[in-house]
Amino acid sequence: MNEPSEHGPRKDVMDEDVDALGFDPAVSATGADVESLAEPKPRPRKKRPAWRRRLSGALVLMVALGGVGGAYTLFATSSGANDTTTSQADIDAGRQLFNTACITCHGANLQGVHDRGPALIGVGSASVYFQVSTGRMPAAGQAAVEPRKEPKFTEQQIDQLGAYVESIGGGPALPQGSLKVDDKELAEGGELFRLNCAACHGSTGKGAPLSAGKSAPSLRDATDKQILAAMLSGPENMPAFSDNQLTPQQKKAILNYVQKLEASKDPGGNGLDRIGPVSEGLVIWILGIGAMMVVILWIGAKT
Amino acid sequence: MTGTNPLLDEAELRQMTTEQAMIAGAEADGVHVVHRRDQFPVPGSRAEKRAERAVASLFVLSALAGVAFIVVFVAVPYSYKTPGHSQNFRFYTPLLGILMGLMLTLLGIGAILWAKSLMTEEELVQDRHDVPEDGPEQVMTGATLVSGVYDTGLPRRSLIVRSLGLAGGAVATVPLVILVGGLLKKPGKTLDHTLFAPNPDFPGGIPIVYSDGRRVSPNDLQPGGIATVFPGVRGGVHGPRSASSPTLLIRLRPGQGKLVKARKGQADWNWQDFVAFSKICTHAGCPASLYESQTTRLLCPCHQSQFEVLEDAKPVFGPATRSLPKLKLDVEVVDGAQYFVAPQDYQEPIGPGFWERS
Amino acid sequence: MTTTQTPTRRSGKPRTIAGKSGVWIEERFRIAKPTRGLLNKVFPDHWSFMMGEIALYSFIVLLLTGTYLSFFFDASMGDVVYNGSYVPLRGVEMSRAYASTLHISFDVRGGLIIRQIHHWAALLFVAAMLIHMLRIFFTGAFRKPREVNWLIGLTLLVLGVVEGFAGYSLPDDLLSGTGLRIADAIILSIPLVGTWTSFLVFGGEFPGTEIVGRLYIVHVLLIPAILAALIGLHLAIMIRQKHTDFPGPGKTESTVTGIRFYPTFSAKATGFFFIVFGLLAALGGLAQINPIWLFGPYNPAQVSSGSQPDWYMAMLDGSTRLFPSWETRLWGHTVPALFWPTVVLPGVLIGLAAAYPFLEAKLTRDRARHNLLQRPRDVPVRTSLGAMALTFCFVLFVSGGNDLIAKAFDISLNAMTWGGRIATLVLPPLAYVVTYRICLGLQRHDREVLEHGVETGIIKRLPTGEFIEVHQPLGPVDEHGHGVLPYAGSAVPKRMNKLGTGQLTHVRGFFYPVKEKPEIAEKLAALEERERAESERHAELTD
Repeated sequence: MNEPSEHGPRKDVMDEDVDALGFDPAVSATGADVESLAEPKPRPRKKRPAWRRRLSGALVLMVALGGVGGAYTLFATSSGANDTTTSQADIDAGRQLFNTACITCHGANLQGVHDRGPALIGVGSASVYFQVSTGRMPAAGQAAVEPRKEPKFTEQQIDQLGAYVESIGGGPALPQGSLKVDDKELAEGGELFRLNCAACHGSTGKGAPLSAGKSAPSLRDATDKQILAAMLSGPENMPAFSDNQLTPQQKKAILNYVQKLEASKDPGGNGLDRIGPVSEGLVIWILGIGAMMVVILWIGAKT
Repeated sequence: MTGTNPLLDEAELRQMTTEQAMIAGAEADGVHVVHRRDQFPVPGSRAEKRAERAVASLFVLSALAGVAFIVVFVAVPYSYKTPGHSQNFRFYTPLLGILMGLMLTLLGIGAILWAKSLMTEEELVQDRHDVPEDGPEQVMTGATLVSGVYDTGLPRRSLIVRSLGLAGGAVATVPLVILVGGLLKKPGKTLDHTLFAPNPDFPGGIPIVYSDGRRVSPNDLQPGGIATVFPGVRGGVHGPRSASSPTLLIRLRPGQGKLVKARKGQADWNWQDFVAFSKICTHAGCPASLYESQTTRLLCPCHQSQFEVLEDAKPVFGPATRSLPKLKLDVEVVDGAQYFVAPQDYQEPIGPGFWERS
Repeated sequence: MTTTQTPTRRSGKPRTIAGKSGVWIEERFRIAKPTRGLLNKVFPDHWSFMMGEIALYSFIVLLLTGTYLSFFFDASMGDVVYNGSYVPLRGVEMSRAYASTLHISFDVRGGLIIRQIHHWAALLFVAAMLIHMLRIFFTGAFRKPREVNWLIGLTLLVLGVVEGFAGYSLPDDLLSGTGLRIADAIILSIPLVGTWTSFLVFGGEFPGTEIVGRLYIVHVLLIPAILAALIGLHLAIMIRQKHTDFPGPGKTESTVTGIRFYPTFSAKATGFFFIVFGLLAALGGLAQINPIWLFGPYNPAQVSSGSQPDWYMAMLDGSTRLFPSWETRLWGHTVPALFWPTVVLPGVLIGLAAAYPFLEAKLTRDRARHNLLQRPRDVPVRTSLGAMALTFCFVLFVSGGNDLIAKAFDISLNAMTWGGRIATLVLPPLAYVVTYRICLGLQRHDREVLEHGVETGIIKRLPTGEFIEVHQPLGPVDEHGHGVLPYAGSAVPKRMNKLGTGQLTHVRGFFYPVKEKPEIAEKLAALEERERAESERHAELTD
């Protein structure tokens, strides 16, 4: 039961480095308060001279590259990533994409823009993958919850964007290789899903509202990679689940359970959207009592 | 019967037609036939045959649905298969439902149609006789009851009345005592403790484990991560007393830790940016575990109570009145690795409130 | 008058086997007279009198399917590792109760449909009881002499809800376990005895190892036996007191009009039973209910968002969600906020419902016997009170699913809660006022038609050049052309093709115009005449 964590200590060291630099490596892509860390005294709505912007950008870039990025590119494996073959060409292509689609809100050097978008330093390519492949980013505007949309970029472009973001700030990355596991672990995946995920996403993956307008989305359209990216990066208000807490194998078991849950047909007729007693109550009142009323009207009617 | 229709004698009745005798009977029961008409006075008319055929075909269809039901019941596969295999099992129950529904509904519609379109049309008026007009009956029955009471002598024999009351009370109470006595369990202080209570087997504090029994290390959780953890004692994860132990371990995001407004005396119960609260909602006992890692709110899915984690899980919205109890965290080092332990039990009862709770 | 095809054979000595058996029975039990009384019982065949039947037939379906389920269900909380055909749970540790429910659902041929029929029947049972009760309430059928049957009916409704909750809790799945956990919290919240009661019910600290077994015996024996006995009593009293009837021409307080139990009514009722059963069977096959395999076995550390009880408990769930966080602390003791919306509120609501017949009689000083019903519009206060209570319950009911509404329509959960809190206070009085106005408006319309007649749609031009619409008076008119028929609280025809309904008792048309049957009028007039004579005689006797 005592599984020594080989990545843990290194991660701790890394955390300290980051803290010393005033940066936060694993803050989610939309963490609003993080931005103020990157920019201690933001001046809202006031346009700064271009040179200052460039200077501060360069400063941030330097710090990020020197401190965080360095540490992360060395130790990013703690989140299950392995040495991928990210070429400089990918990173350059990613920068191009970033500069056209993301720069307005996340800043030239991922430092974030006050009142528009958070810093992306350290969010990792998993977060980029989740946000962009589900179409949540690029967002039209700020909302309590970004809805799922059609993605704006191709899979390759998303990888390039991810490579670029990771090259600057590091952070959790998606693992390579197959995510498929045997159905033998279906039950274990189910147990873990109910313990860790069902509270918000529901035992049938329908999603649920959170406080004050926020919500946990339905898992219906989510792909394996997207769910995994969400577990690793903890987008928006979702907690992150590191590989030490839920092992990569356990995560794959959860993915398998979620997909099998969505794909399995209902044995008992129409699933009523798998909402449970609320839809059942609607059915009995509208269909059941409704049909009964028609019948008794017919029985009581005189011809 | 008030005899509005004096009963005829048997000989007279036997001379009547069946219908006449039936009407005589109804009159005797205070039921007056005001209208009675055969819907098809001319037998064998086309309309009658059509109506008859309609009813009969419903019955035949019902029988056919029944036969089909049996065929489906026996022949169609129903075993569940995981996705990737044939999902044909999903037709089994709906088919049964359609056929059974048809069988029963068609039979029912047929019967009603039969009653409506073929049976003799009737309209009857029944006397209610519900006004208590039987004055003599009341007097006689009342007198019988009262005289019975006097016959027993109860009004005069108060000693018997009282002692009988005592005996009756005893007879009524004893079964209650047996029932309640057998069922009763003394709550004692059970609700004040969980399995995190100090245990001689674990002098350094109760180990904190995951549901699969692994010990929880501070390195496990990413910032903004949560884990449901349990006391690492026997029966801590599964067991009759495990319902009170589930605990939510939260690693705050960097920067959030500084904002914690701890309750009095609980400031050092965190361990760095880790906090642990009982997962059992103080309102109705559901696991309050919808953690919003940015806004640090914890939501209970049952009645939407919301707790602010940065203020020691104080309730900020919804029906909950009390903060989630906080578990003091500590870390012990085993073979160079750090693991969480709980040095003490929750310092207040977990879960929903109760009378004895202060 | 009688123009039927009944054989004109004399009623001689019985010769058939059936006839001889009848004689055989009569010689031993002497039940010819009571049997005939039962066969001749007259049932009004207005459609609204059939709602209670839906509940009765659902109950029969529940008994049939429930008996079947009990052959397979294992009411034990003992641990077992699942090894049945539902792969996603294979190898999971669970209670025998949950495992046997999976077994019924996946490994018993036809088990799933019976389980689902049983659950749908339970939902219909309570729903039908509720609409039946509403019909009784809004038409004043609970008034003297039927107060006792009102109380029995109310008890049936409450017991039905408890029975349903017990059944819902039996499979020991995550959803029902969450429900039981809340039930335990509700018991705990009762001042003074809560903790002891909770330990008594659960055999110790929640969840213990006893509760499923105990609920099982409550669910299959205790409450069904009480339900069956009370239903029997309910029906016996109904037969003894005879049905109520809607007011109308020819209807009197001392008679009831309709069809006899045998043969027409029993044919219709039997047919209706099969339709109810058929609908439940179709629902049981076509609409999946309580898919416990998707929820997983109960585990106190787990929960699913969107955990709701069955609809009849949704109101309590809603009140619990809306109630503010008001905890009372008394001399070192606690009265949790949960106590008010889950114990006090239902207690008050049930108490009010139980007391209503007596309160109304007291407040209106109405001690008379009532066999004729009232149309809701004719008793605006009662109708409005009912609408108010219904609105209150409906807001709570909707709030029981406010999280799903918030999710479906993208509304803030907190806004839903506040909306519900405000709505429980604002909407009921509003419903009272609106209903009151509607009742008066409907009454006024009736009076107008009685005075001026039915609009014919024929526009006439008077010699003066004025255009008027021709009205068809319902009856005789006075010198001003106004109808002289008094307002009698019975239905007034509003359209030309409904004319005639105001004259004769039996000629009602639901979808079609009605026919004239003058011979009935004669018969009724004779009956009424006799009635009057009798009551006069009675009055003389009592003087």
